[in-house]
Amino acid sequence: MPPALQNPLTLWLLLTAALAGLAYAFVRQDLRWRAIVYGSVLIACGVAVWPPYEREGEPGKIHLGLDLRGGIHLVLQVVVEDALNQTTDDAVTTARDQAGRKGIQIGPVARLSPTAFTVDGVEPARVKDMRDLLRDFFRNGWEVKESGEGKFTVEMTELYQRQLRSQTVQEAIRTLERRVNVLGVAEPVIAAQGARGDQILVQLPGVTDVEQAKRIIKTTAQLSLKLVETSAASQETLLAATGGKVPDNQEVLSGPGSTPGEPVHYLVRKEALITGRDLKSARVGVDENNRPQINFALNATATDKFSRETARNINRQLAIVLDGTVYSAPVIQSKLGSDNRITGRFSTQEADELSKILKAGALPASLKYLQQLTVGASLGRDSIRDGVRASAAAMAFITIFMLVYYRLSGLNAIVALAANLLIVLAAMAYFGATLTLPGIAGIILTVGVGVDTNVLVFERIREELRHGKTVRAAVQNGFDRVWITILDTHATALIAAAFLFQFGTGPIKGFAVTLVIGLIANVFASYFVSKFLFEWVLGGRHYEKLSI
Amino acid sequence: MEIIKNPQIDFLGKAKYFVALSALLIGAGIFWIASGHLRYGVEFSGGTQIIAQFKDTPDVDKIRDAVARVSPGSVIQTYGDAKANKVLVRISQEASESDLDAPERAVRQALADSYGKNPVLESSSEIVGPVVGAELRQKAVLLTVLGLLFQLIYIAWRFKGGIWGTGATIAAFHDVLVCLAFLAFFNFEITLNVIAALLTLVGYSVNDTIVIFDRVRENLLHRRKEPMAKLLNDSLNQTLTRTLISNGTTFLAVLGLFLFGGEVLRGFGFAMVVGIVVGTYSTLFIAVPMVDWWYSRGGGSGKVVRAA
Repeated sequence: MPPALQNPLTLWLLLTAALAGLAYAFVRQDLRWRAIVYGSVLIACGVAVWPPYEREGEPGKIHLGLDLRGGIHLVLQVVVEDALNQTTDDAVTTARDQAGRKGIQIGPVARLSPTAFTVDGVEPARVKDMRDLLRDFFRNGWEVKESGEGKFTVEMTELYQRQLRSQTVQEAIRTLERRVNVLGVAEPVIAAQGARGDQILVQLPGVTDVEQAKRIIKTTAQLSLKLVETSAASQETLLAATGGKVPDNQEVLSGPGSTPGEPVHYLVRKEALITGRDLKSARVGVDENNRPQINFALNATATDKFSRETARNINRQLAIVLDGTVYSAPVIQSKLGSDNRITGRFSTQEADELSKILKAGALPASLKYLQQLTVGASLGRDSIRDGVRASAAAMAFITIFMLVYYRLSGLNAIVALAANLLIVLAAMAYFGATLTLPGIAGIILTVGVGVDTNVLVFERIREELRHGKTVRAAVQNGFDRVWITILDTHATALIAAAFLFQFGTGPIKGFAVTLVIGLIANVFASYFVSKFLFEWVLGGRHYEKLSI
Repeated sequence: MEIIKNPQIDFLGKAKYFVALSALLIGAGIFWIASGHLRYGVEFSGGTQIIAQFKDTPDVDKIRDAVARVSPGSVIQTYGDAKANKVLVRISQEASESDLDAPERAVRQALADSYGKNPVLESSSEIVGPVVGAELRQKAVLLTVLGLLFQLIYIAWRFKGGIWGTGATIAAFHDVLVCLAFLAFFNFEITLNVIAALLTLVGYSVNDTIVIFDRVRENLLHRRKEPMAKLLNDSLNQTLTRTLISNGTTFLAVLGLFLFGGEVLRGFGFAMVVGIVVGTYSTLFIAVPMVDWWYSRGGGSGKVVRAA
């Protein structure tokens, strides 16, 4: 095709111009405008849909659903409580630090629930100072309540909770998008869904390695670098020094030790020096012993902080924590800079995946799988074959019947049906809707409804003819009388289809989409185009009989 | 060519026999379903279903033994065309959300261990956690009811009388019940596709009823003095050919789906085939007689629908 014709708009204009010429030559004046408008709509549809399926390396305009081309469909739930916990934990740290900075003596500060914490034992002389401090720092999104002598409860407002929830889901979606890019999937779908909006739908067409895809999606990849207080082989020895209790600002983590099967436990500071958000890049490298390791670089602000803190803590251990596991805990030998590494017992593939995931960013909360659907590619091809076969059978039945029963008028109905199908396909291509196997069924049903419109009109015309009307008057009356019926039947069918559309995503949505488009297209094709064809063929001449 | 020349059938007179037939069918259906005979697909019940394509002709008994080791009580059956070497495994264990595909992995491992000489070439699987299954069940019922309700409102508005909307809606609801009864009798699974078929059916059934109501509305314009029963019956007869032809062609189309649509669309096709027949039947013998019954009892007296 010459380059100028590859632009769909030029192609459409050219073809419409040609059509206008033909209409001028063969269509009488009072029908000419309709011929051009209807024709150009159908030409636009043809241009929009070409080529419908992949050919000569050019991608097809009709997107096939997962059930037809194979792939993975996952529904995940974002554990939003994780993010709420994290935010409240941060607030606890802020409250404690600020009180310390102001020199206010306070008792324990503790998280009460995912959305609230308490400050207890404020020295009586400074209750007012503490109240002002809390009100100042937790002005937005929190509510400070005094719940007794020197005791405060700080709780997230409903609004802030909602904001955090939707933020968390949005952030998770963005992270998943970056990760899915790593997998190199064409046309992935990643979208929020579910009544509470905390579910994420992930569709990866064409992906066959389910395990790899799931690993890449689900790893939280929460990286943090934390200062180690002590380490020991068992939790009891670890906590011996602190009287068996974990101090408020510390936590116990564990990770694999030098001998397999004997984990090491660490008592670390809760507050992380560095988190995944401070990363500038991450990639795979090898260590001195040629084992895979992950090299990562920090951004400028984080590098400053990291250098300062490591300089102050030389000879202490620094735990490198990934998703709650201590991968290694090297001793800080000197001030550290931007470039660092994570060593551990990775396989090359693990290191590769991890570095990609780290680069894509951490998930703000952990994920749970609610639903998983995988379709093998050849099974999808079987479905296409079945769908095509069923459609062909249905079309053949209808075509033969209409021609036998309505003779030449049946031909008119078949032209209208073809136009209807063309519009449905074009609308799907234009809106990027996916064609699923139930979608094919939807198209077949559309054909059924299309036939109904034609039958309504034709039966009405026959009735008018029986009452002794002339051919032209019968056709005119037939179409006029049936209009209201068509309006009402299509409106109710649209109501049903609209509710189907609400039925989540996936194949059923594909079905509803074809049904809705089909109903609208049908009014155009089986009513307006069909009426035009009658008027055009009957022309201005007088007919004694109509082939109907 | 014409099917029936100028039909004069007394539909309303015979309606009571058909109402009895419908009541009988629905009653039997409800009894059958209540005694636990309606099967749900994994989307609704939750759980795991694998469709595996084997290299050679699979030996279902051997596969059953292998799967039974890790998941006793699982259902195993050949899937689709026998030459396709496909087997469907419905795992009995519940899929828990903490590790959704644990049962699937166990079954795959068991197959590889005990039936390794005929490996699985390719497979599709569907795993649904209990949360999604429960949500979907609620949603299906809610959407069907809401869909019917909105159609009722629309028709009541268009025909200026609640009885028209009620008649059409009850007929559509009747169709859904009869269809469910048939699905249960013939041991089809209720899958998402089948629900889609039922919702479509609601639209189609109402659609069919409206065509006749519309005819009544038109006849009322110049035959106001005649009794409603005669008008209704005449309208049924006048539109009879259209009813038969339209539904006949749609029936042929969905029959194509049922026969050639493959395993995935089998349930959908069946529901549609039954639905088209029942939808036509209910228009003639449920919807219109209901309107007749209402007017014969003096309902809506003085109020006559006008053409919109």
